[in-house]
Amino acid sequence: MRKIWVVIRREFVEKVRTKWFILSTVLGPVMMAAFIVVPMRMAERDATERSIRILDASTSELGRRIEDLLAGPLPVRAERIGVTVPEMADVADSLNALVGEKVLDGYLIVTDATASEGEAEYRGSNVSSHADMQVLEQVLSEAVLTARLAREGVDRAVVAWAQIPVRMRAVSIRGGEVTESSGQAAFVLAYVVWMLLYLTILVYGVQVMGAVVEEKTSRVIEVLVSSLRPFQLLAGKVVGVGAVGLFQMSIWGVSAWWLYRNRSLVLELFGMPEAGGSGGLAFPEVSLDTLVIVLAYFLLGYFLYAAMFAAVAATSNSEAEARQAQLPVVMLLIVPTLLMLGILQEPDGAMAVTLSLIPFCAPIAMPVRWAAVSVPAAEVAASLAVLAVTLVLVVWVAARIYRVGILMHGKRPGLADLMRWIRA
Amino acid sequence: MVHDPIIELDRVTKQYSGHTAVRDLSLNVQRGAVYGLLGPNGAGKTTTLRMIMNIIVPDRGNIRLFGSGSAGRDLSHMIGYLPEERGLYRKMRVFDVLVFLAETKGVSRRVAKEQASEWIDKLGLGDWSRTAVNDLSKGMQQKVQFIATVLHQPELLILDEPFSGFDPVNTQRMKDVVVELAHRGATVLFSTHIMEQAEKLCDSVCIISRGQTVLDGRVAEIRREHGGRTVTLSVDGGSEALSRLLADRTVVARADQYPQYAELELVEGADPQRLLAAMVQEGVRVRRFEVGEASLHKIFVDLVGVDAATPRAEEAEQDA
Repeated sequence: MRKIWVVIRREFVEKVRTKWFILSTVLGPVMMAAFIVVPMRMAERDATERSIRILDASTSELGRRIEDLLAGPLPVRAERIGVTVPEMADVADSLNALVGEKVLDGYLIVTDATASEGEAEYRGSNVSSHADMQVLEQVLSEAVLTARLAREGVDRAVVAWAQIPVRMRAVSIRGGEVTESSGQAAFVLAYVVWMLLYLTILVYGVQVMGAVVEEKTSRVIEVLVSSLRPFQLLAGKVVGVGAVGLFQMSIWGVSAWWLYRNRSLVLELFGMPEAGGSGGLAFPEVSLDTLVIVLAYFLLGYFLYAAMFAAVAATSNSEAEARQAQLPVVMLLIVPTLLMLGILQEPDGAMAVTLSLIPFCAPIAMPVRWAAVSVPAAEVAASLAVLAVTLVLVVWVAARIYRVGILMHGKRPGLADLMRWIRA
Repeated sequence: MVHDPIIELDRVTKQYSGHTAVRDLSLNVQRGAVYGLLGPNGAGKTTTLRMIMNIIVPDRGNIRLFGSGSAGRDLSHMIGYLPEERGLYRKMRVFDVLVFLAETKGVSRRVAKEQASEWIDKLGLGDWSRTAVNDLSKGMQQKVQFIATVLHQPELLILDEPFSGFDPVNTQRMKDVVVELAHRGATVLFSTHIMEQAEKLCDSVCIISRGQTVLDGRVAEIRREHGGRTVTLSVDGGSEALSRLLADRTVVARADQYPQYAELELVEGADPQRLLAAMVQEGVRVRRFEVGEASLHKIFVDLVGVDAATPRAEEAEQDA
């Protein structure tokens, strides 16, 4: 036990001293700060007004109506230009030039077909902005609707009243209780959990692989195994790197918490007033049980993958060889990642439930589900049980491969060799 | 010598797929001995030492260390092992790597630090103790590895080709350290393919070839048994007469003859004095005529033949 501790401490101290660790630890909070600041900046940029022209070739009031609607508290300012259909091409050309010079953002073409067929066209430099297009489409359909109803003789006031938009707030229920967090916040949390788990399990798993390969290629392994059992070495290595991971995550966690608490300060630093929630990111409430679940699955998942990465490293002669051989292991981790959108969309769907019961996917799938919806305790227990049993099996197999592999040099073993090592 | 075996191997056999690295090898190293395990590359030396260290397990036979059945790993606090393939953590600092390796052998952190400083100074690495291993020259890395082997004051040193990679000055320095440790009572088992090294350092040797013992015993006894019949000869200008004399198989069993120099082995019972007289009588101008003990190398070559004394490629590979 004391020897395992010695290995853990070396692994931890040496890893924490590396440039890689210092850099990624510092850059973590910077990224998080950027996570807060950039959406706000984006929101701010959205708040700058778009300037567009309405190229009105319609014979009705449609163009003017759109202009009036856009005069409201919307981020798009429009000016109507009345044209005839034959003039259209020439005017459009001159407007194209203006858009090219960034004087204008774009222009909307409205004809008689707009009211009758519902056809319009917008040309501009901001067509990729989902928000801008939504505003225009909304205004356009409102104008068209009003025009059509007016044509049918419906009173303007009735039309205006009928158009009052509906606002729905989505609030999640957890454990039979209504929570304060909105649906969007749950989504954000699930997303963050997914990124965090995927990245940390992968990054620290690969670190274990690197550490094992280093010992093998530098041949220090021969001295080590003369005083340590391979299992002591493997356990110390995996726990040591895992401790580095937890250490780094707690640094990040504390700084994230601090940034969140002092977000107004941070925003001020970047010269931005605190946006009252709108336009900014919806900050999720992280409950204790979520934290425990994420931590438990991180540990189990990390141990599972670290053991596999260690086995891969033990069968390789060089860093490059290991990187090639790791592919099957990485694929196991990528599968739940590829299916993540499906899980997020339907956290209680058949796919999500299945994935959270497959041990190699569960470390990511289950915490993501947990963050998104409330998962029955029985399902969590089943998932944990399957994961734990698999972990024991994988560690057993990996330790046997490791034991033989670390002293082997030369040809990479085939499947038959591996089976012999495991049975030996 | 008191009968107190530190290492006992009893008919140990290790097979790798296709060939036998070590066959029915028996060894007995007594406390305080400096014991050489000799043989050409690929003879099975490294395999034998690895089995003693319990890094690999023999297929058959028994290994006992310090009279107990424990494996080398459990006794690592008493054993200093220098593997043939040297290696340290490249990015660690010299001091840290020494402390760590001592700790894996069960030395407390405090003692490990004291000893590390002491040895670093002793071998002239004082200026480098905070340097990463990677930034040291090959020779200095070798020294660090050597310190790691002896830092925990082991009672038994197992050194696999300990002096390879050192320049002559440092080789001498390391030999002095080994001799000093032996004087203080450490038992030393080391392997080498350079017989001259063993000749100077060892009091007992075991010569193996192709995994089997060829010769085993105290160096002095081996020499007495196999020596006394060799003659080293220098002459001024060779002659027909000399060649004729050396070809006389009733006197000279074997001759390794060059134009002005020859190493001879006389047949049992032949008198070197009479050979000298015959040469003088025939007018051979003798500059040097030395009756000596055979070198271990010569004994070895005589016993196994030149063929076996040269390594076989595929065995050397397996051995590494």
